[in-house]
Amino acid sequence: MDHDGRREFGPGKVEPPPRSGLSRRRFLSLMGATAALATGTGCPGRGQVAPLTRAVEGTQPGVPGFYASAFQEALSSYSVLVKTREGRPIHIEGNDAHPTSKGKTSLRAIAEVLRLYDPDRLARPLVEGRPVTWADADGRVVPILLEARQRSRPVLLVTGAVRSPSTRALIADLGKALPGMKHVAWEPTVGDGELEALAACFGEVRRARPLPERAHVIVSFEADFLGPDRPEAVAGFVSNRPESALDARMNRLYVFEGGVSLTGAVADHRFRLPPSRAAAVIFALANALHGNGVPLPTSVDPRWLVPFDLERIGRESGAAPGPLMGVVSDLEREQGRSLVMAGTALPGEAHVACHLLNAMLGSEGRTLDASRESPLGLASWRELATVFKDAASGRFAAVVFWGTNPAYTWPDAGLWRSVVAGVAFKATIGSLADETAAVSQVVLPENHWLESWGDHETATDMLCLQQPAIAPLYDTLQAEEILLRWAKALGASVPASYHDHVKTLWRKQVWPSGSPVPFERFWQAALHDGVAGREVPPAPARAFSGGAVAAAARAAADRPAGVLELIAVPAVGVFDGRHANSGWLQELPDPITKLTWGNGALVSPADASRYGLTDGDLVRLETRGAATDLPVVVQPGQAPGVVTVAMGYGRRTGAVARGVGASVFPLLDAGSGSPHLRYGVALSPLGRRVPLPFAQRHGRLEGRDIVRHFSLADDADKLRRLTAHPVAELASLYPDQKYPEHKWGMAIDLTRCTGCSTCVIACQSENNIACVGPEQVVKGREMHWMRIDRYYEGGVDNPWVLFQPMLCQQCDNAPCETVCPVYATNHSTDGLNQMVYNRCVGTRYCGNNCPYRVRRFNFLEFTASKREPESLVFNPEVTVRPRGVMEKCTFCIQRIQDARQRAKVEGRTLGDGEIVPACAAACPARAIVFGDLKDPSSRVARLSLDERGYKVLEELGAKPSVTYLARISNSLGGRG
Amino acid sequence: MTVPDLGRVFERAFALSRDRLLRIVVVAGIAAVGCTVVTVGWVTQPSHLATGYAPRQPIPFSHKLHAGTLSIPCVYCHSGTTRSRHAGVPAVETCMNCHRVTRTDRPAIQQLTRIHESGATVAWERVHALPAHVFFDHRPHVTAGIACQTCHGDVQGMTVLKQHMSLRMGACLGCHRNPADALPRGSSIVRGPEHCQACHR
Repeated sequence: MDHDGRREFGPGKVEPPPRSGLSRRRFLSLMGATAALATGTGCPGRGQVAPLTRAVEGTQPGVPGFYASAFQEALSSYSVLVKTREGRPIHIEGNDAHPTSKGKTSLRAIAEVLRLYDPDRLARPLVEGRPVTWADADGRVVPILLEARQRSRPVLLVTGAVRSPSTRALIADLGKALPGMKHVAWEPTVGDGELEALAACFGEVRRARPLPERAHVIVSFEADFLGPDRPEAVAGFVSNRPESALDARMNRLYVFEGGVSLTGAVADHRFRLPPSRAAAVIFALANALHGNGVPLPTSVDPRWLVPFDLERIGRESGAAPGPLMGVVSDLEREQGRSLVMAGTALPGEAHVACHLLNAMLGSEGRTLDASRESPLGLASWRELATVFKDAASGRFAAVVFWGTNPAYTWPDAGLWRSVVAGVAFKATIGSLADETAAVSQVVLPENHWLESWGDHETATDMLCLQQPAIAPLYDTLQAEEILLRWAKALGASVPASYHDHVKTLWRKQVWPSGSPVPFERFWQAALHDGVAGREVPPAPARAFSGGAVAAAARAAADRPAGVLELIAVPAVGVFDGRHANSGWLQELPDPITKLTWGNGALVSPADASRYGLTDGDLVRLETRGAATDLPVVVQPGQAPGVVTVAMGYGRRTGAVARGVGASVFPLLDAGSGSPHLRYGVALSPLGRRVPLPFAQRHGRLEGRDIVRHFSLADDADKLRRLTAHPVAELASLYPDQKYPEHKWGMAIDLTRCTGCSTCVIACQSENNIACVGPEQVVKGREMHWMRIDRYYEGGVDNPWVLFQPMLCQQCDNAPCETVCPVYATNHSTDGLNQMVYNRCVGTRYCGNNCPYRVRRFNFLEFTASKREPESLVFNPEVTVRPRGVMEKCTFCIQRIQDARQRAKVEGRTLGDGEIVPACAAACPARAIVFGDLKDPSSRVARLSLDERGYKVLEELGAKPSVTYLARISNSLGGRG
Repeated sequence: MTVPDLGRVFERAFALSRDRLLRIVVVAGIAAVGCTVVTVGWVTQPSHLATGYAPRQPIPFSHKLHAGTLSIPCVYCHSGTTRSRHAGVPAVETCMNCHRVTRTDRPAIQQLTRIHESGATVAWERVHALPAHVFFDHRPHVTAGIACQTCHGDVQGMTVLKQHMSLRMGACLGCHRNPADALPRGSSIVRGPEHCQACHR
């Protein structure tokens, strides 16, 4: 607690509370097709109710509307449902009509609703930093394009990945109107190794979709496929995890990695392996399999693999020999039911080796499906470097940046400066004034995707339709509309609007020819569903050609050893920095390090003691010509000699993003072929320490079974302990709770949970949870109602990483209830530990008495003082809590109440699974099950009686309503 | 400069001892503060201030005419009652359903027509306002067969709409504990929910 009053109430920390809750009332009265205007006239505080002039068909004040739309991030597109209230998007969920994502989406897609209301969004076009009209902006850009065409000088268009058929067609149209336009699509999170190996092995840059649901054995090398951005991979993976503890049919996941990823945390065996050694290990596995009689493709000479002896390489990299041999025997046994994956950061030879291994195991067409994938159409870092060199030499008349921010992400600052100097005219299309916009003469503000039309290809035969859920908040246009204006000005015959353009393309390419359904109805159905299949013949299987293997094997044998390696990984929250201005994502704790608001240099405990470092010590990481200062985070399980740094921090623009963490991009090497890896990094301690905003500072179980964890390889005694619940019933001074109708409860399956934290963001969005900033997190004042606790079990070198979603346990004998002096928290008749904000006086006794630390206190005015546009993101069904009030998870009481009332109106009883709290709705692994414990046939009632089930801190006798199901691993014994 | 001793001044003026004076001042002060608190508190309590609140509306709409004389059902205009938490205020278009042809000669209707044609809206003065921490739901109340008049009063008799119920928690709970009078005969409902999260969340 800060006792210096002036510092506690310093500028920016607290704003005056809203006058008699006027903004809240205004908020409530927005309900309906009514928009209330808070006024100072008349009786104070009642305001006015202004209904719509014409009611909108199908909408009802106070009833949410759901619109199917789609969101793209790098190479992934997500089909989503946007929940709107009175025309205002307030929450995003996955679209359950989509056949592969099945109602789940990425946590960053959920957090997009905050970005829509970002006060930093550009509101009008800027020319030389001055706000202008669109006509003026066009007047600045179009003559330059016309002149470039007349003088036949090329124009450069740099974008992020383009996965939309309509956008692709539009760029082609623009290219026709502007001959010589060069379009480069580049993604800073995709490595050259992956792109170049695909081209070398298959002759085309077409990814295969991994199908973990079909794989009994999965081997991953730096591939974080269970991360938060692949909900369908998570669902596929957990579909092979057991429902019952003693069910031996369970997939096995081996992970080889330098840092600790979510995938590594879930792995049954995790090997610490520097990324530079990955290729050698994969070749050694191929060699060992070949030795066991698994045939090599005919184009591969077995002699190429001779240098890779698994035992020797395993010994050198410190892998436990038993599990390593287990990989070989598992793969040999499960040919065609196994899957090997290499992370995009790895160098080309590792990807070639991975393709070879998959070819030997017959994965293609079984656990890898490339038949519905289209070419990536991405430029590699090396290709972009060549284009930038051209640009620096003055080849291009103009450059347009859209959806990309090379001023921040491009590692070579010298080359970037010469691009800026070498191209006379630069324009940026974007929603924020980012680093690239700062060097552009013209900045064109883009709509948020929730204000835009579009389509996305999630597979060649599966398109998602993106429709606006709200009219543009500002004087902005969607980027495609801007390109369309230019194409029109250049004389191209293009549709009047981008909406027409998408519709025309769908009429031609997606609407089944000869369909008896009229196009308009087909279009309306596609808008409603958000997805539409199209008849496209599956692409022919990729044929592996082994020509590249010889060179790859030479490169794998030749990697430097004994030097410090740096690996840059996308941050779970801010990704590559494009979400850095989102407070939710900045405050989302990294699931492994639990660090919020910034990144650190993750080093192994061995390296930390070698350099004499501890958490928060500042170090300088230096490569040739570049240095970055970062605080150290000592990461148990990190491979010695490997430093992991998250991308996306150290932004120089944005009210939220600026100055948080440090950028790793300057340390990368665009020309190396594996830009995310850097060998021979120098680490030097700076002798200073900074406080780090960790959301969890202690990760040991201290001998208590808070997270129960068993392995199928454990002896029978330990397995038997699963079913034993030795906790004696404690005598209680209080009478038992009585539940006449319902008793809400939850079951959380720790075997399914991958720690991805999607539930945390979904909860934050649904329940108006505050962001507090790094200074407050350092003081332990973060506000998440749902958090993921991370524990380590075993030695620090390579421990088990255990996740546990932790939320209010809604205890029957709640310790918090008995200590509240004003009866602000008490028990409801349906088993909820209810919290009444307007009664709370902020003594914090309840928070101090809670053994689960799930009660959160509003130390400052975090949310109630928010004004438009920020306040528009609030869920009007949940109170916005002011300063001085305690709060906590309510099991999404607003959803419970709404479902109950709907059932009541319809004169029926509530069905099981009808009420879905935000966390359960978002969980890609379906690890969270909610329901009525009084209904013995409900899923949650059955799961809470499962033999794996237990309560956390059961011995305290609080009788929680949340049952955890013990985590089961399918290890061979030992860790890796 | 010398400061005059105020106590002495008073002592002389009222010919009382300083001690006596202090006693009187303290007692009188406490009584005055107490009276003020009680009077202001009593006068401004919501049940006094809120009930009877009948602001002037921008268009002199009469519930007495529409709901009373013409017997238009409440839910014809307030159509959200069974679908939403909010009964809702009707769109201007709903008024025009009839007023395209009826009473088009009246100035108020002409004003309404102009508003409708211009696409503007009518800013009605809000009569029933709940605090921000109360999440009232019309649906279960209407479904249970409780008449609108139970809470909103004799609306069909009001030329100018006024607040009938205090909208204090006691008024809600009073009915939830003993709803028999509000419910239609033969209803199976014995009590309304009394736990906090029924309304607060």
